[in-house]
Amino acid sequence: MFIYYVDLAWRSIKKTPILSLLMVLAISVGIGITITTLNVYSMMSFNPAGDRAEQLNTVQLWSQGPDSWDEFNSLITFQDAMNLRKGELPKSQAAMFRSGMAVQTDDPEVLPMLQGVRVTDRGFFPLFEVPFLYGNVWDKSVDEQAAYQVVIGRKLNQKLFGGENSVGKTVYLNRKPFQVVGVIADWNPQPKYYDPTSGAFASAEQVYIPFSLAAHEEFPVWGNVSGWKYERLDNYQDRLVSEKVWLEYWVDLPSAEDRAAYKNFLAQYVEQQKELGRFTDGKSPSESAQLSDVDAWLEKNHVVPEDNKILVGLSILFLSVCLVNILGLMLTKFLKRAPEVGVRRAIGASRGQIFSQYMVEVGVIGLLGGFLGLAWAWGALYSLSARFGVAEGLTHLSLSMWFITPGIAVGTAMLAGLYPAWVVCRTKPSVYLKSQ
Amino acid sequence: MLTMKNINKVFKTDLVETHALRDFNLSVQEGEFVAVTGPSGSGKTTFLNIAGLLEGFTHGEYFLDDVNISNLNDNKAAAIRNEKIGFIFQGFNLIPDLNLAENVEVPLRYRGFGAKERQKRVKQALEQVGLGARMKHLPSQLSGGQQQRVAIARALAGEPRFLLADEPTGNLDSLMARQVMELLEEINKAGTTIIMVTHDPELARRAQRNIQIVDGQVCDFSRYQTEQAPQLDVAEQVAS
Repeated sequence: MFIYYVDLAWRSIKKTPILSLLMVLAISVGIGITITTLNVYSMMSFNPAGDRAEQLNTVQLWSQGPDSWDEFNSLITFQDAMNLRKGELPKSQAAMFRSGMAVQTDDPEVLPMLQGVRVTDRGFFPLFEVPFLYGNVWDKSVDEQAAYQVVIGRKLNQKLFGGENSVGKTVYLNRKPFQVVGVIADWNPQPKYYDPTSGAFASAEQVYIPFSLAAHEEFPVWGNVSGWKYERLDNYQDRLVSEKVWLEYWVDLPSAEDRAAYKNFLAQYVEQQKELGRFTDGKSPSESAQLSDVDAWLEKNHVVPEDNKILVGLSILFLSVCLVNILGLMLTKFLKRAPEVGVRRAIGASRGQIFSQYMVEVGVIGLLGGFLGLAWAWGALYSLSARFGVAEGLTHLSLSMWFITPGIAVGTAMLAGLYPAWVVCRTKPSVYLKSQ
Repeated sequence: MLTMKNINKVFKTDLVETHALRDFNLSVQEGEFVAVTGPSGSGKTTFLNIAGLLEGFTHGEYFLDDVNISNLNDNKAAAIRNEKIGFIFQGFNLIPDLNLAENVEVPLRYRGFGAKERQKRVKQALEQVGLGARMKHLPSQLSGGQQQRVAIARALAGEPRFLLADEPTGNLDSLMARQVMELLEEINKAGTTIIMVTHDPELARRAQRNIQIVDGQVCDFSRYQTEQAPQLDVAEQVAS
């Protein structure tokens, strides 16, 4: 009977094209707006670390003095990062910051280009499970003894070397030669959870160089630098010994015991620093160090702004208004067909069968509205990306949405159709048989 | 086959109570052709609606094939309508968007027949009414008489035990009315019980039995053999 009902629904839609089009449009507009906001919301709140979200943690330290910030800063100082790197408890760990440099090769045909650069430790790659296309990350020794080695991304490798295996070749960063040791495959976690402070939905960098070079090469910082007190910084070295915070520090702590042990380690570290005259706010050592897993980290950095949640609520409200409109249109359409229902009831259709027939019709209208809504959503996201420069990571219509949208549309339409279908299936056949 | 005992039907509004049927008693035997006449508003259609399970009643008992249908739920009533009863209406009541075959097929779909069985029965029913060659036509492409024959085919396709016809010739000219009546007589001869509401005394006389409803009650006349049908107008009989 389902196929029969679909056939009847299609005939009915063709018979009243204007009314049906109005219903499809009403559903599609409501769905389009809701899916656009839902998509942005789901992309923002997506946890790209998957089942490793709990074991990946960032370190925050209450290094500020009294009467300064009233919450943990997301970033830590260079001296704290250098000290923490000596610890051996985490499975992997990495200090990092974002920089930027001009990139070129020996090939005069390849024009120099400005690229975002991640200055980090080798632990970055196992921490975030970065996939390699060619070669690998630099040796562990490079984290201690600085070496001019670089890992580049596939896209940059394509531009510089035409996509071939470039391991062993030289690229110049701000005119300094770096040897390529690895090329990573396409990898662009969204949100960019390892560094939301420099753009939660920015693309992953295409250049990775050793953190051990930072002090020597004085790389510019393309991220936030904050301080809780006035410090005169005359040169790069002043920054390295200052209380300015500008680095992220990630650790891989697979078990709860590892996390507890590392918190203990951090408390001991703070205690040591207090003895050296730092961490003067009066907080206890255990209160002065915090680990944030990926969820907490995204929350702390307000990756999903409150406005976006309100927008989702408003779009659902709008969908509800569309739903009420559809309800009215359906009631009009269905009641016009009450005489036919009378005939069908007289020749043997039960109320349940009539109800099913009309619910299938509602479902077909919803499905059409869903497909059109999907097109609206795709168009809206494309416009956001193309015209307003919203990050691509946010405007990509996720695969799940392609499947969920028709489902939501059908569900919404069926919700709106419940009452009209119920009214029409309660039709008294005798009322219409004589009058038809 | 059909027995109604003391059936009462009251339509109520906030201000008025209308007694459409009062202490209505009737028994129809298998194979009978019963004509029901009566003035407008006498309760003929109400009786037909109750007989066809399209409407409930206020008091009384109604047995159809010894089944008390007084308290049937909607599903059971729909199943009985589908399997045992065929309807023919004055306005034909064909579904305009469906072609003839699809119209005739509708009750068979609700019965749950497979495609082959449906096709066989549809073909048979339309051929029986002389429209086998016009299966793909829409109702709007047919004359009134042809449309009524399609309605009869739809009623017959499910092989019902009895047909309820409400003014089946009311919208037809005399020639077509005669053709439809002849078709109904053939169907009755084949064993199907027919109850026909009509205003036409000529047609009523052709039935085996005439009953007249006046003010919601039955005035039952003696049974006539078709060949001995009286020449008197039914209304005249009541008056006498």
